[in-house]
Amino acid sequence: MKKNLLIIPSIIFTFVLLTFFYLLVIERNPSELPSNLLNKDIPIFEAENLIKNKKFISTNEFGNEIILVNFFATWCKPCRDEHSYIKQFNNNGIRVIGINYKDDPKKTIQWLEKLGNPYSDIPIDKHGRIAIDWGVYGIPETFLVNSKGIIKFRHVGPMSKKVFKKINLLIKEIK
Amino acid sequence: MVTLLGTLSLWLTLFFSISQFFSLKKNQSLKIIKICVIGLLIFSLISFFTLMYAYIVSDFSVLNVFQNSHSTKPLIYKISAVWGNHEGSMLLWILVLTIFNFFIFKFYNKENFIFISKTLETQAFITFGFILFTILTSNPFEETIKVHADGLGFNPILQDPALAIHPPLLYFGYVGFSAVFSMSIATLSLENNQKIAWYNYIKPFAVIAWTFLSIGIALGSLWAYYELGWGGWWFWDPVENASFMPWLLGTALLHSLIIVEKRKSLQTWALLLGILTFLLSMVGTFLVRSGILTSVHTFALDPSRGLYILLFIALIGTYSLILFASKSKRYFDNNYFAFFSKEGSILVNNILMAVVCSTVLLGTIYPLIVEAFTNNKISVGEPYYNSTVIPIIIPAILVMGIGPILGWKKEKKYEILKKILPSIFLTIIPTFFIFMIYQSLSFIGVIGILLSFWIISNNLMMLIQKNKKYHKGMIIAHLGVGLLILGITGSSVWQKENVSKMKIKDTVNIEKYNIVFDKIEESVGPNYVAIKGNFLVYDKERNIITKLKPENRFYHVENNFTTEASIHTNLLRDLYIVLGAGNINDGWIVRIYYNPLVIWIWIGAIIIFLGGITSANINLKKLKTFDQ
Amino acid sequence: MKIKKKFITITSIFLVNLFAFNLYGVEPDEILKDQKQEERARIISKNIRCMICQNQSIDESSAPLAKDLRLLIREKIKEGKNNKEIYNFLTERYGDFILLKPPFKLITFLLWLLPFVFLFIGIFLIFSHNKKSKKV
Repeated sequence: MKKNLLIIPSIIFTFVLLTFFYLLVIERNPSELPSNLLNKDIPIFEAENLIKNKKFISTNEFGNEIILVNFFATWCKPCRDEHSYIKQFNNNGIRVIGINYKDDPKKTIQWLEKLGNPYSDIPIDKHGRIAIDWGVYGIPETFLVNSKGIIKFRHVGPMSKKVFKKINLLIKEIK
Repeated sequence: MVTLLGTLSLWLTLFFSISQFFSLKKNQSLKIIKICVIGLLIFSLISFFTLMYAYIVSDFSVLNVFQNSHSTKPLIYKISAVWGNHEGSMLLWILVLTIFNFFIFKFYNKENFIFISKTLETQAFITFGFILFTILTSNPFEETIKVHADGLGFNPILQDPALAIHPPLLYFGYVGFSAVFSMSIATLSLENNQKIAWYNYIKPFAVIAWTFLSIGIALGSLWAYYELGWGGWWFWDPVENASFMPWLLGTALLHSLIIVEKRKSLQTWALLLGILTFLLSMVGTFLVRSGILTSVHTFALDPSRGLYILLFIALIGTYSLILFASKSKRYFDNNYFAFFSKEGSILVNNILMAVVCSTVLLGTIYPLIVEAFTNNKISVGEPYYNSTVIPIIIPAILVMGIGPILGWKKEKKYEILKKILPSIFLTIIPTFFIFMIYQSLSFIGVIGILLSFWIISNNLMMLIQKNKKYHKGMIIAHLGVGLLILGITGSSVWQKENVSKMKIKDTVNIEKYNIVFDKIEESVGPNYVAIKGNFLVYDKERNIITKLKPENRFYHVENNFTTEASIHTNLLRDLYIVLGAGNINDGWIVRIYYNPLVIWIWIGAIIIFLGGITSANINLKKLKTFDQ
Repeated sequence: MKIKKKFITITSIFLVNLFAFNLYGVEPDEILKDQKQEERARIISKNIRCMICQNQSIDESSAPLAKDLRLLIREKIKEGKNNKEIYNFLTERYGDFILLKPPFKLITFLLWLLPFVFLFIGIFLIFSHNKKSKKV
């Protein structure tokens, strides 16, 4: 019996190495975290609306159609990089709500005048509390919410062509 | 020119490592082996110093120098930048490998010919693997495509004296265990009629590697302590764990070799430790350099590097562990010993070290396993390690105090009691007084202080008795551990902190000190500008104790900030000030820490190092007399 | 090789500026007047991971998000929420990843159990060795 025990180190070793190997080969971005809100209702929130004169109340807006929620800020350069993708969503007829994270309203309006405004509403998240409710940890972040008000997808960081395609596929799927 | 010379010598080291391997396999004459060993050493020295030369003269035609240096950088940091980046550090790693290779070669004699040959064979293979890795994935001698007027600079936080010498010491530790590994492999592959006293060879190498690993880890902690700005010195970061795990197994190995030597028992176990210690060093390297953990702590996020190291580990790991599984039976024995004996205490030490090591390994890789098998991600941080590791370490320290006093084979229980009575006395009385004076009863605090005095008093007793049967290196090293525990306990249990916004002339109290923010001034360093706060520290009688000058530095080349804490140290406590953000009108955020007994961590580490050196020396001498 | 903790934030180029460079932690304006409440806040923050840092708690991080979370925790304490409610609030949003001390769950079952198993095996080995020595 004791002699068979001698094989144990090699078994554990193999298991650990295979795990490493698997993690190394799969396409994995180690800094990306799964959202805990996936397949859950969106967090309820109310906020000032930057481009409309009435309060933004989430319960009135979500739950009727597919909505893309985009956390953005003018001080974040990657937000500018992904802006053309966000505009494309709007052009494709997807409603996009932009949550303005810790920003200056005047600057935001100028920024949008210059780059174009794809957002139907812009709730202002002055202290970053809405973001915390959504589990946001990096700006920009984008959420896809289905017509029942349930979060189906979350992307952290600026949109890339790949992510853009992926979201479009998802939209088709959940329609 | 530099790139040519460097690349050429790197290829030559590859050549010599291959020829060393094959000439040993084919049983070539000693002369040929000698040529290979020396050639390997010389050309790895040449490639290492070629890169160093390129750094010193700021030759920005070398990509590695361009990326990690700048002409305005102080000379010492130009030199340390050689190993402050992934590619250059591989050269250092190879150099240390060849140095150990050379020293193993020096042990050749008629009796051990086969054993040393087999050791050098494995050593040549490991060296070859690392050189090939360097050439294929991380050549430090690549040329820049464009001509650059100056370099990109070197991460300012690495521009630090402790961190300049931290890697070489650590590598001596890691790589030293490669010698232990090779010898364990050699031992396992010896035929029955070729058996020799392998443990006498492994021991000095294990002690040297362990000693350097210890001081290397301590320096890293020291640096973390004064650079990170909040008075902590250990974070259970995966990178720290990567060095702590081999240290734990190395500790177990050192102790088990005593039993192997004296009682010819536990041989299989010691051989397994010899293999695992180095494999864990390699796994550590993999974790740090593959980017699998996402830390910027890590050198590079290049998957091909990770894949290469992983395959290499898989190769030598599988080979060695299968060899172990199939051949180690021959080293079984039936020399059992009682629990209450010196061997018994060493066995307890070994088992507890192995348990702690497994736990740390589990905590380090568990998040990866969870990620691989589920869609979740979890964090395993300091609180986990504190609640699992500390309870296991406490009995190990208790045993450590009494183990060395016990006799071999079997000790009667009342004899033991008689032996440890004075040190029990010596432990409890001062602990009692300390808590009377400081009136701070914290459970962990009491335990820590008790354990510390327990170790110190036991070792002082041994020192006084001048009994020759106590190994001098052991007493010194154990004494160091006692002091280390004192420091760890003090700093982690009784740390006080004061965070406040201070304007000029404001005063803050911490413990019995009044600290006055005197003024703030600008200063200019060789490659940075800084603002420097001036703080006057008074005691209760309003006598001035010291001036503390924490700095915030801005390195314009790298466009980075660093904070330099200012620390006043005495044997009882550190006063530690960090300057935060702020301005003249609103004041600055100032963090002041009162860290009791921290100095004993560093004193303890140095004493452990000295103990290790003493022990290595004794073991080497023993080996020489044994050889003759 | 170590790189200063304060730089141990995710440096992927695309994640920007929710984190800053310096490692500082708690700032004076955050500190609660009630010492007991403040102590509670510190203990909780030490167990909450700074999401964008490497192995660092929000108590030690100067990342703006860490600051927001510290303030949030203090608000919740003032509102009279207990520790469990606060941890739950955070894990609902950020998942278990935010806890530095992983909760005891199905997926962390082995993480918490195995150290005891190791220790048990160890103790067993010591005892069996001792027993055999008596036979000899």
